[in-house]
Amino acid sequence: MALLAQYVIGGLAAGGLYALVALGIVLLYRTSRILNFAHGDLATFGTFIAFSLLVTYHSPFAIASAGALLITGVIGAAFYFLILRPARDASLLGKIVITLGFALLLQGTSTLLWGTDTKVLPFPLSDVRVYRLGGLVVSQISIGSFLIGLVLMGLVYVLVQRTKVGLAMRAVSQNLVAAQALGIPAKSIFALTWGLASALGATAGILLAPVALLDPSMMLDPFLKGFSAAVLGGIDSPPGAVAGGLLLGVIEAVFAGYVSVRFKTTLAFLIIIAVLIVRPEGMLGREYKRRV
Amino acid sequence: MKTVMRIVLAVALVTALAAATMAQAQERGVSATEVIIGTSQPLSGGAAFWGVPVTGGMEAWIRLINEQGGIHGRRLRLVALDDSYLPPRAVVNVRELVDRVGIFALVGLLGSANAFAVRDFVVENQVLWINPLADANMWAGFRGKRSLFVSYVSYVDEGRILTEYAAKNMGVKTVAVFYQNDLFGQKGLLGVKRGAAAAKIKVVAAVPYELTDREFSAQAVKLRESGADAVVLYANPTAGALVVRGMRQIGYAPKLISTSALADPAMFALAGDAWNGVTLAAYFPLPGTDARVDETLATIVRINPALARQPFNAVGGIAFLEPFLEGLRRAGPNLTRASFITAMETLRNWDGNVARGITFGPDRRQGINKLYLVRSENGRYVRLTPDITYPVAF
Repeated sequence: MALLAQYVIGGLAAGGLYALVALGIVLLYRTSRILNFAHGDLATFGTFIAFSLLVTYHSPFAIASAGALLITGVIGAAFYFLILRPARDASLLGKIVITLGFALLLQGTSTLLWGTDTKVLPFPLSDVRVYRLGGLVVSQISIGSFLIGLVLMGLVYVLVQRTKVGLAMRAVSQNLVAAQALGIPAKSIFALTWGLASALGATAGILLAPVALLDPSMMLDPFLKGFSAAVLGGIDSPPGAVAGGLLLGVIEAVFAGYVSVRFKTTLAFLIIIAVLIVRPEGMLGREYKRRV
Repeated sequence: MKTVMRIVLAVALVTALAAATMAQAQERGVSATEVIIGTSQPLSGGAAFWGVPVTGGMEAWIRLINEQGGIHGRRLRLVALDDSYLPPRAVVNVRELVDRVGIFALVGLLGSANAFAVRDFVVENQVLWINPLADANMWAGFRGKRSLFVSYVSYVDEGRILTEYAAKNMGVKTVAVFYQNDLFGQKGLLGVKRGAAAAKIKVVAAVPYELTDREFSAQAVKLRESGADAVVLYANPTAGALVVRGMRQIGYAPKLISTSALADPAMFALAGDAWNGVTLAAYFPLPGTDARVDETLATIVRINPALARQPFNAVGGIAFLEPFLEGLRRAGPNLTRASFITAMETLRNWDGNVARGITFGPDRRQGINKLYLVRSENGRYVRLTPDITYPVAF
């Protein structure tokens, strides 16, 4: 039983980060109906900015993180306005290809600016300091990252579900013309959504880097897992993204522990296939219907 | 009569010169002023940690040689293509280098699976291939190796020697293996199994990971549950560092043993204190342990300061290139495939700036058959053993 609990703890720590990534993907999809395949690379880029602020400019962690989130948010919003919006008449597939191109651009820029060697991001919490509960071990950084993630997820939930801004996001997503006719500043809402989602991705990157080490391909696997989590939970449901992320992390860890560690990575993709067959809208998602 | 003789001599001379020029012109990748060589490396993706500094080391060393006038008046041009550590891309790259760029020789090419994927094409096209950075054991029994020269380590022999050493000198009775789930890791695992069988100890767990994985808590728990006295690492630096830290987090502190691929001093920063006391294999002098290697490193760092961050892999790039350069020198000004092969076959226990003890011959294409062991202590590697030899396999 202690062994199972240890796998679950490891899975929750990873799942919390998957959830943050998934939340960014879902936020964008809800508002602009675009699957942003540059989300992971933008998160990595933001983490590198934090790294530079911390190591090169010796900024305090809070300032470095805030600066990195702000810059990443601006880059995300700029990408939407300068590249995606002018191509708004492109097909869905075309838009996905644009995001893939942006991902490659970010990856190349990261490599050029920071190199390919793996880096250690200084972090105020320790991965060596651990707490023991019976036979269970959990590190300070895992607890801290998980709690920070939960707080952020809660704040996003409140923003989306309980504020006028969130209502405007939903309105823009459902009927852009009607929303604009009602006086909702659609451009500002899009800017906010892209900025917020990008900053969420960078948050996941900053929380992940101390435990996964930082290099230009750091977010490749977490992005794919976050994407799987979003599909599992419901691609248009923020609570679904959180539930999907946590569940995927736990399922993956338990599967690796008791079934096969070799197929741990494949599991996420099997889950996507299974969900798309059985319940395409995901666990907490709603079937998408457009009124005509 | 004299006039006729003069005409005949002049015609013979012109014909001979023309023939020589044509022979020279027909040699792929060689001109009077240049030799073109190619390589395919992971310059992006999960294995870029290895590929970028290895290529950077090669490029810096070539730049230095060119600044000194090249070899026999020919400058070297290295065409390095990115394969992201993906075998299909390595195949495309090598075809590009051979068919379109027209290289004289392929130098390096990192990754056992990548080398395995391209080897039939390279051999069929009789491309000179110096130092595939892949498990040397894969060439044992492989036919058509006339154009191949390997001075890279055999992971099978390395794994076997590490395991036998652990059993005899470290009191290890059980081992677990953390390995990359590709040809690199699988060959290491095979070596560990052979070593365990020879030393009559048990392999109690073999725990794989994929190159793209970033989360190793489940693997760390599985290794802990195996209860092994020692864990052998056949991993890339990121995975190796993370699993070592993960094991320490959950209170598991086995003896650590590692492939030479993790001998970069950068591991001390990535794994922290957990990298103390690790027993590793090495097959050329590591930076910080040899004056000539340190001097070489300082030289290339002056050319490319970024190489200072990964000194082991940077000087590794030179070690992999040096036998080729020596072959060029020995082949003389009339460079052809045949003259190069003949020249390479004369290397006997040859030392370069970084590469050491390279031997080839008409029936020998495995340039090194020895390694030694080091132990990591407080940010540096300390030599544990003299050279340990293993049988020449090809």
